[in-house]
Amino acid sequence: MALYCLGMLQAHSLLWHYLWVAPSVLLLMLGFGLWRLRVHRQHPFFLAFVLASAVEQLTLYVLDITPSVEPETWWRFFWAGLILEGILKFALLAEVFAHAFRPYPAIATLGKRLIGMVGVVLIFASSMAAAFAPLDSLFGIVSGAHLLQQTIYIIECGILVSMFGFSLYFRIGMPSADRGIALGLSLSACVHLATWALVANTSLPDDSRVVLDFINMAIFHFCVLMWIYYLLVPRRASEMTAVIALPENNLALWNRELERLLQ
Amino acid sequence: MILAIILVVAAALALIFILSITVSRSLQVSNTSLAGAIQPLDLEAFRNLTDAAEDEYLRSRLRPADYRSVRRERLRAMAAYVQVAGRNATVLVRIGQSALTASDSTTVEAARQLVEQALLLRRNATFALLRIYLALAWPNSDSDARPILHRYEQLNGSAMLLGRLQNPAVPLRISASL
Repeated sequence: MALYCLGMLQAHSLLWHYLWVAPSVLLLMLGFGLWRLRVHRQHPFFLAFVLASAVEQLTLYVLDITPSVEPETWWRFFWAGLILEGILKFALLAEVFAHAFRPYPAIATLGKRLIGMVGVVLIFASSMAAAFAPLDSLFGIVSGAHLLQQTIYIIECGILVSMFGFSLYFRIGMPSADRGIALGLSLSACVHLATWALVANTSLPDDSRVVLDFINMAIFHFCVLMWIYYLLVPRRASEMTAVIALPENNLALWNRELERLLQ
Repeated sequence: MILAIILVVAAALALIFILSITVSRSLQVSNTSLAGAIQPLDLEAFRNLTDAAEDEYLRSRLRPADYRSVRRERLRAMAAYVQVAGRNATVLVRIGQSALTASDSTTVEAARQLVEQALLLRRNATFALLRIYLALAWPNSDSDARPILHRYEQLNGSAMLLGRLQNPAVPLRISASL
């Protein structure tokens, strides 16, 4: 049994095929569901991200299993997908931020400035991390892709942490769908950052790299399921925010203060 | 290798932070004792502390060293009041947010105003606290916390309006006592 499980943790095993293809198929189903429920009007960048990720992963999968495709061609497609996905991710983060904080003009501008400043610091920090990473001169296209992944995930993680921290400080609750999107992105970004940091900055043996690939694919699969739950499963009334009434004793207290003000 | 370790630790901490916020938020949804978390604030004492005329009076009557010492004490007290005001504001944000789902449009509008004013107060309280802490280092500098007091008074009004709409029996007592 243990040997069978270890055998599954190999490239081109049944589990490997499943973990690569299933999230993309689920993403296409999610995209269709968003369009059918007309949720895509509120989340246009999420829909774009979902469809682009699905098409990108399925294309890479087909290229990977086609023997006639050269490794360099595969990596060129990987680069193109990475750049497109990176742009869409940052547009998606802006969309989540707008949904969460735009209804509150008192802090929306402050939040925008804060996230902007954090973004600048993160770009600097990720550039420094990339500059100090070892670069493979033989396979520059591969190590460059790892560094670009690492850079994107550093910025994405930092922005998500700032966004959650900002909402915590002001006790602002995100809308359920946006919370689900942000949570999925966070989980995926943090795990991918850790794994890509190991891949980009250490010389791991191939077996270990394959295990890291499995972790990434499994986490992404989980995130896709989470997005389906948050965006397609209708929320029950009990899950909505319970109305908290102001108690009489507080009103009486405020009333006393008001009386003192009027005296 | 060191860079990889730093990034792995940072990613783990980021994930723990985000997950803990999400979990604590889900647990707080059913917390109905929230309103009890509001701490009373003596507005008269707060007003005295922020009164520029009182400061001027103390400055004219005391020796510079004594004045700085008294001023620091007043600033510490002021910081405590601003912190309480900020904390109360965050409680009111959540109370207001919960009332945003009410069916009555008047209640929703009152809740929206309460949330907006509470957020403004929370934001201003943060900046005021920074100014107060700076003034603790330089007691002769300006640290005007009067806007916080003004916002807090406005917030009281909004909270009372929302409370009146949620508990219609209470305003009769309030108006009777005025």
